[in-house]
Amino acid sequence: MSTTSQTPPRLEVRDIVKSFPGVKALKGVSLKVLPGEVLSVVGENGAGKSTLMKILAGVQAQDSGAVLVNGQSRNFRSVSDAMESGIALIHQELNLADNLEIGANIFLGREPRRFGIIHEAEIRRRAADLLQRIGLNLAPDTLVRDLTVGQQQMVEIAKALSINAQVLIMDEPTSSLSAGESVRLFEVIRDLRNQGVSIVYISHRLAEVQDLSDRVTVLRDGENAGNLVRGEVTHSSLVRLMVGRDISRVFSRKSYPAGEIAIEARDLVTSTWPRHKLSFSVRSGEIVGIAGLVGAGRTEMLRTLFGVDEPVSGSITVAGKVVPLRSPQDAIAAGIALVPEDRKQQGVVLDMTIRENIGLASVHRHSQAGLLNFTVEKSQSAEMCRQLRVKSPDDTYRVGNLSGGNQQKVVLGKWLSLKPKVLLLDEPTRGIDVGAKQEIYQLMDQLASQGIAVLFVSSEMEEIIGMSDRVLVMHEGRITGELPASQLSEEAIMNLATGHQS
Amino acid sequence: MKGKILGILTVLLVLCTSLAIATSDPWWNVRTSQFLNFDNIMNLLSRIALYGILGIGVAFVIITSGIDLAIGSMVCLCGVLLSILLKVDYQPENPVNVTQVIASEQTIYLEGKGPLFPPGSTLRYTGGVGSGLVLTVDAVTENGAIRVREALTRNEKSGRIVKATPIQNFNADSLDVRLPPDFTASVNDQLQIFKPDGAVTVQKITSITRTATETTARLAKDPGEKYHADSFAVLLQRSQRCSIPVAVITVLLIATALGLTHGLLITRLRLQPFVVTLCGLLIYRGVSRWLTNDNPAGFGELQQIMGPVASGRIGLLYRGETLVFGIPIPFFLLLGLAFLATIFLTRTIWGRYLLALGRNEEAARFSGINTSRIIILAYVICTLMAAIGGMLFALEFSSISPSSFGNSFELYAIAAAVLGGCSLRGGEGSIPGVVIGTAVMQVLNNLITLLRIPQSLEYTIIGAVILTGVLGDELVRRAAAKRRLKQSAS
Repeated sequence: MSTTSQTPPRLEVRDIVKSFPGVKALKGVSLKVLPGEVLSVVGENGAGKSTLMKILAGVQAQDSGAVLVNGQSRNFRSVSDAMESGIALIHQELNLADNLEIGANIFLGREPRRFGIIHEAEIRRRAADLLQRIGLNLAPDTLVRDLTVGQQQMVEIAKALSINAQVLIMDEPTSSLSAGESVRLFEVIRDLRNQGVSIVYISHRLAEVQDLSDRVTVLRDGENAGNLVRGEVTHSSLVRLMVGRDISRVFSRKSYPAGEIAIEARDLVTSTWPRHKLSFSVRSGEIVGIAGLVGAGRTEMLRTLFGVDEPVSGSITVAGKVVPLRSPQDAIAAGIALVPEDRKQQGVVLDMTIRENIGLASVHRHSQAGLLNFTVEKSQSAEMCRQLRVKSPDDTYRVGNLSGGNQQKVVLGKWLSLKPKVLLLDEPTRGIDVGAKQEIYQLMDQLASQGIAVLFVSSEMEEIIGMSDRVLVMHEGRITGELPASQLSEEAIMNLATGHQS
Repeated sequence: MKGKILGILTVLLVLCTSLAIATSDPWWNVRTSQFLNFDNIMNLLSRIALYGILGIGVAFVIITSGIDLAIGSMVCLCGVLLSILLKVDYQPENPVNVTQVIASEQTIYLEGKGPLFPPGSTLRYTGGVGSGLVLTVDAVTENGAIRVREALTRNEKSGRIVKATPIQNFNADSLDVRLPPDFTASVNDQLQIFKPDGAVTVQKITSITRTATETTARLAKDPGEKYHADSFAVLLQRSQRCSIPVAVITVLLIATALGLTHGLLITRLRLQPFVVTLCGLLIYRGVSRWLTNDNPAGFGELQQIMGPVASGRIGLLYRGETLVFGIPIPFFLLLGLAFLATIFLTRTIWGRYLLALGRNEEAARFSGINTSRIIILAYVICTLMAAIGGMLFALEFSSISPSSFGNSFELYAIAAAVLGGCSLRGGEGSIPGVVIGTAVMQVLNNLITLLRIPQSLEYTIIGAVILTGVLGDELVRRAAAKRRLKQSAS
């Protein structure tokens, strides 16, 4: 194995193998992290990225293979072993105690002490240093609960730096950040790299990867698919390595003649943004994208349309009839379906089978005297699995064992078996691999062609531009503008999303 | 789930087998086993039935990831309520209160007016010092008071007068009492028979024959020689607060209302199930004690009619006329309820919703399921089961003490549900499992008695066994996961 530099890699793994019940997650993966570089690790979901990172951070132990830190073999038995070797993992879900201050969080479990009691002044001083280093202009005694998600992430980074981490592993750090916060994060990442910290960056957002990486290691099905260095990293080269095939055209959007107005909101006021009125309509066969920064009120709007949150005022009309939406039942009865943002918490019941999940919203429609109709449930589930190409040996599998993309298909299957008039999707491709994303796009297109009105929220610009017939842009609870397909561009959307009225 | 049920079933069988051997002497002769003794098995089945009904109820609540701590108090409350609703009283017909007795004038002033007691009629005066006096009306004064022929010893301002009827004839062979034709007794009423000297006895009337000239009441028992002649009778009319079906239905309705309250507090006001039902535990216990003044409650003469529902047996084996072995009737009730509960849980949409929301309430809500309604339903089912169990327990015990009846039954029920495969995290549970779990608990209880282990260790042993069971389940689960891993690796 040849090394490009003379110094040993800061972190290296060789032929890592790891199995879980029923699946071999890693089949001999190797990678190197050099000092002061940003190494991106990309791959479809299930390619083994998360497992590899957990092994690097000492969360899990490998079945076989070696981990070397600065050229020396190490065997991490716990997270603290890894931390002592200077490796810190920042999880996709943040692990902060939001009832504590920033400083307390940074030094949680390692509080500097004086005379046996916590030395608060020392904590604040050192926390302030760290916050300054990552450019977070906040007092160390601010409560974490008062921070934005982006700021909380910075606190996580500060926490990692406080143990002198030399390798910082970030798992999908931008997944819950707004565009502005992401930009800020990238600055910090570049700063840290210049300070000599190595960053292992995991993301599905290829544009970020392209932007940020010095090198990229691509994984596919638990194996190394290839390495790219800066300059070679392009969207298509990444996708080719990830899926093992060329995806020339991700978005297969055709335009269909729009029909009647399927859903219309008039002066709708949501409980989170009581000062703003929302008015818009979607025709059947139309795909309307809702763009905006995180926290712009897009999810709240969809929740209100689906009856999860009661509207403060205003009216919602479905197919010409005003429908009172006090609960999801009302919305479903009116023909509205929602594919929610938090798939695992709101979309599926992980511990139930595919069939039970698909039937969850519709079992009552074909039950007699409350008795389940197993025959219809089975055939309906089989039909949906076939139509949506759910990848599973059969539909009695636990949904929790499926990949994100397949879980999302199960959510869609649940709704499509009800034949909705209006389909609301909230970040439908979040955490889903490229191949499955494309299938979701095709499906959205196909549903529109069948006359369903599709309204979707996305934080991925290319998705919004690629899929929408029309885009509504939101900013702080208002709809700041509407763009037809012909006027769609990142600049135009960004302009509106940051509050400039059209 | 199937594995769990199989596991707990194995535990039950092993326990039973070992206990059968341990209580036999010599060990291989199971015919000598105290455990397999017919009486013991019948008792065991009866206890399993009663506790099992509570277990099934709490399983529904546990599946919603809730808990019901009020079951024991609910059992007590329902037993007490049933006893109160079925209270039987015997009261004389038309008693009249005395306002004043003036001894010197031999006059008694009565509450109200009217010629209630015409001259010549006999009365029984109770209350005050003149208790049990037999008086004969001499005349009625203008102001409605009565003057009696007998001398009165002292002035009074209290007491009660009821109409007494001289017994014309008593047939000691047939136990027939001959009374005037206008004597309005009916079967099940009682006859208070007394002598002018104050001696008194009460007998039940078993039949009535009426002719134009007389009414004949047959007594259940011979009142004794001295009452055979020169005695008087006062009719004590039987009154029962409610008929049995009305009482049972009322108790079930009250339980439904309380379950509904639990559910509403938990879903609409978002209170924690633990807190809500803990308050229930305290409140229902207190109410039960207050309603009964802390006196034991029972069913009196109705015990004979209703008792068999709880302690009756369907005979399977007789030796001569005596029943040697039979299945307790509550056991059939348990099987019926368990069957219905299983159908509900596995074959109806509400059961499906219950399991779904137990695992992920939010996803269930986002699928258009009215999760609040299903959770409320679970609490109603739980209290209803507690009510059914409570009434059966009360009938089985026949006399219940409101301060201790049902104490910690909720823990037995919860433990049985957990042993039977319910996860307190929710979303998991099977009714057959709960029934088997209850059986394990009761066999353990039996073991403590039969092996003469000090009763004081009972909770310790039960606690240790549950812990072992849950631990074993976890270990088996891990071993299975490891095995699968090895299989997939090879």
